[in-house]
Amino acid sequence: MPKKKSKLSIIMFSGTADKFLPLGILSQAAAAMGFEVNIFVTGWALLSFTKNAKEPPFPNEFKDMAPALMSGLKKMNAKPWQEMLKEAKEMGAKVYACSTMAGVMNIKKEDLNELVDDIVGAATFLEMAEGGETLFI
Amino acid sequence: MANIVVDARGSSCPGPVVELSKAYRNAKVGDIIEVWATDPGIKADAKAWADKTKNQIIGIKEEEGVIKVSIKIVNR
Repeated sequence: MPKKKSKLSIIMFSGTADKFLPLGILSQAAAAMGFEVNIFVTGWALLSFTKNAKEPPFPNEFKDMAPALMSGLKKMNAKPWQEMLKEAKEMGAKVYACSTMAGVMNIKKEDLNELVDDIVGAATFLEMAEGGETLFI
Repeated sequence: MANIVVDARGSSCPGPVVELSKAYRNAKVGDIIEVWATDPGIKADAKAWADKTKNQIIGIKEEEGVIKVSIKIVNR
């Protein structure tokens, strides 16, 4: 019997810039490895998936280190998280906005940017994630 | 049977493996994909990718700071 397809599900909750890096890197790497990738965007992270969203802020405790991180990333030719996620999506990754958080923040489907595939509930996402690895970022 | 060079020099992880996976989409069984990278992560990443996709690493060499990994496509 063929092995079941590997699967990575990410619950993206945090809204700070440092957390968007692993989102981009892991989703892109997993998609390149042929994993099924499902991303559930909730909490503060959802604000960064709206149209005309500002860049997510750095957390206060690491603010002083942000310039060094940014210049280091530039030196390594690392792409911005949005581009990494776009590439992951081209390889099949899916991004779902949390229906509850969208309701709480009064964010409608048309307010979300092109990275988001659909608005779903937690139960739908858990069903998608079942049997694979799930990360909460 | 083609020899495909994927030039991912200067690209950081997971860039090289992403470029490899893109080249794989258009590759056929029997093709050889050669990934050029400067990110040292590619050595282990290419092995993991080949294991996962059931393809074969046929050579890894390093020339003047550039890692060149050759992968034979045996599975589509």
